[in-house]
Amino acid sequence: MKKLLTLVVCLAVMSGALFAEGQAEYPERDITNVLVWGAGGGTDTCNRVVMAEMAKELGVNINVVNKPGGVAGSVGMSDAFAKASDGYTICGLSESCVTSAVMGGFPERMNVWDFFIIGGSPDIVSVTPDAPFDTIKDLIEAAKANPGSIRAGAGGAGSIHHLNLLALQDGTGAKFNFIPYDGSAPSQNAAMTGEITVVVTSVAEQAQLIRGGKLKPLGVLVEDNFDLDGKAIPSALQAYTDLRNFLPISQAIGFAIKKDADEVIKSKLRNAFTVAMNSQAVLDFGKENFYILSGKYGEEAGKVFDSLESNFAWTLDALGAAKVSPASLGIPKM
Amino acid sequence: MGFLEPLQIFLMSIVGLIANPVNILILFGSVIMGIIFGATPGLTATLGVALLTTLTYGMDVSTAMVALMGIYVGGVYGGSYTAVLVNIPGTAASAATALDGYPLARKGQAGRALGLTTTASAIGTVIGMVFVVLLSPVISALALEFTSFEFFLLALFGIVISGTLTSQDLVYKGWIAGLIGLFLATIGRDSLQFFPRYTFGMSELEGGLDLVPVLIGAFGIPQIMQTIRDNFKISETSEFKKILPEWKTIGKNIPAILRSSLIGVGIGAVPGIGEDIAGWVSYGTAKKASKHPEEFGKGAVEAVISTETANNSCIGGAMIPLLNLGIPGSPPAAMLLGAFMLHGIQPGPMLNIDRPTFVLEITAILLLASIAMWVSGIFLSKQVVKVLKVPTSLFMPIISVLCIIGSYALGMRVFNLYLMLPIGIIAYFLTEMKYPIAPLIIGVILGDMADQNLRRALMVSQGSFMPVLQRPVSLVLVLVILILIAGQIPAFQKLQAGVKAGVLSLFKKKQGSADNA
Repeated sequence: MKKLLTLVVCLAVMSGALFAEGQAEYPERDITNVLVWGAGGGTDTCNRVVMAEMAKELGVNINVVNKPGGVAGSVGMSDAFAKASDGYTICGLSESCVTSAVMGGFPERMNVWDFFIIGGSPDIVSVTPDAPFDTIKDLIEAAKANPGSIRAGAGGAGSIHHLNLLALQDGTGAKFNFIPYDGSAPSQNAAMTGEITVVVTSVAEQAQLIRGGKLKPLGVLVEDNFDLDGKAIPSALQAYTDLRNFLPISQAIGFAIKKDADEVIKSKLRNAFTVAMNSQAVLDFGKENFYILSGKYGEEAGKVFDSLESNFAWTLDALGAAKVSPASLGIPKM
Repeated sequence: MGFLEPLQIFLMSIVGLIANPVNILILFGSVIMGIIFGATPGLTATLGVALLTTLTYGMDVSTAMVALMGIYVGGVYGGSYTAVLVNIPGTAASAATALDGYPLARKGQAGRALGLTTTASAIGTVIGMVFVVLLSPVISALALEFTSFEFFLLALFGIVISGTLTSQDLVYKGWIAGLIGLFLATIGRDSLQFFPRYTFGMSELEGGLDLVPVLIGAFGIPQIMQTIRDNFKISETSEFKKILPEWKTIGKNIPAILRSSLIGVGIGAVPGIGEDIAGWVSYGTAKKASKHPEEFGKGAVEAVISTETANNSCIGGAMIPLLNLGIPGSPPAAMLLGAFMLHGIQPGPMLNIDRPTFVLEITAILLLASIAMWVSGIFLSKQVVKVLKVPTSLFMPIISVLCIIGSYALGMRVFNLYLMLPIGIIAYFLTEMKYPIAPLIIGVILGDMADQNLRRALMVSQGSFMPVLQRPVSLVLVLVILILIAGQIPAFQKLQAGVKAGVLSLFKKKQGSADNA
């Protein structure tokens, strides 16, 4: 028995040494995706679907490990950032992570990362079914006539939905009474109870309520009309063209690798990412879950995150919620 | 749909599930894992569901649901083990069980107490399940009456009632403990305007206090210190052979079981409060309804049955808004919501159209999970009761290590250990001065809900308090809270007694005149 055990140990050591020998091509072992949000959320689900497709292409497993906590995903980001830039650790994240630096959670600006954007669900303005508004114009004109009289929910203060609501106000001159909630689900719930009249969250989050007739969709906050079950929801940007100066501010779910990683590694990941984004599984996932798929990477994706970072950081600063001033971090005002 | 068709789907789901041996294996595995999670201080049903969610990713939907519902049911029940045996509730849900379960164990009736909690939990789960089917639409409609004002009042009510019920001598002490809890809940950045409160510039405090280390510190540390100080042997258990529950006792308590189930389902259906409040409220009502309220706190069988029935029937209650509106009714249900999404199930008004059989499948799984829980409970408690024979000098260090692991495990933050210890020491002195600890914990749990919702409600009403009196549900809550508080004022007590006597004498007179006629 003892002999057998020794033999097994020896073999294991030898094979380990053998594999370590010879510079094999990346990736030669499993990749870890440190995901900054909890299991089951949008970022988690998206990443898992795309990782499964990328794994097929790369020929190794990609293990998604959830590391939530801190401010705006700072625990997971710091964890992934502390690892070597060898391409074996990537970081699953979303647009709200850009606030981590101004909130004092992450010491660096977001441009230390190289992003891969999967996509996101567009934001939509809806009202309760008994509200006397049938178009986005009805709503905006009523809000202009009596500033601050219409109660609007849009997730928490400083969330992406809040930024969309602020942009809607800035671009139309309307003024709502903003009521902050803990997240999208609670603000939609508040619309169900009648506590608020207007709710701005993503199409993915509202789809069930719209289908069930519990919310009346007035307009999406992206350039194009959005098709929901064969019914077109008009774009608010077409009704109020000034909105184009402020919108769209879109969700950007995806993942990132440290910027100083080797170009060879990056291009391997980019290829696998592009293949994954065009796979039937991801396309179906996007359609079923009301996502607009992006597939951006490299410089293009960097620009998206730069603008998100600037928008979020300066909005939080204006709300008095920034712990570190965006100027001291060198975040430009766009 | 008639009556027969759902029944048929329900039975078919059960047959379909048990036909696959893998499902049975996963069912028992996850229930037992749930019991261990629940019984271990610091590991909660919520954490169990959260951890298991990631593991179910590769499973098909119904198998994943079997695993998740199994660990949920097991987790809520498992807390009663440590509550009864060592007076440290394994989860907040079983805090009320400890009040009478532990005295029972000290009388040498640990086996009996666990037998009763097991059966009560199983019955509670099944009744909760029945309500998922029957009351789904009705309770969801009522839950929609809850706006920010009601949530604030509900949180306040939870703190007041827990303070009222758990004090050993003066009720004020319970309220003071509740207020300390409320204060602890305000630490950190407030979630409405991000203003840092009581953080003293420490970044660890920005996110507020984590509940688990506070819970473990406040309940665990004083227990360990007392036990070591008194060199006390946790319990002298007389030899007992069977843990099979006394059906007679259960039979005698059928009214209590029904009442507690209703409380559990109702509280479960209200978003934001879960198993712990169900346990407390049910305990309070049981004490009020009992013929021997003086036995409560000294090992009343009725109390143990009431709390355990309520916290398990709460599972069914919490599933009702989760399935029908996509709003989780309790913290573990919030984790389940994530799991549903992971498996492509969108709970909400459209669920019945997308997956017409899903609600019935879930109820079928709940039934199987409660059966599995009962079987493994009866089987496991024999092993667990052996814990009592472990000498204190060995057992307490193990509990200490578990407390430390539990505090650390959730967020992997060393800071939580620094938090747990001082809170534990303060809690020790509070306990010595006969301040109850439970309201403090309830204050921490509900404090954020009270704080946020009060301020949000005032934003909605633009500073006016009038809606509190204009909305029916909030008016009822205000009155209940006022009566609870006024009940401690001597003048009011006299008045109450006077009114009671007056009504009684009137009633007697009427009866007398009726007899004459």
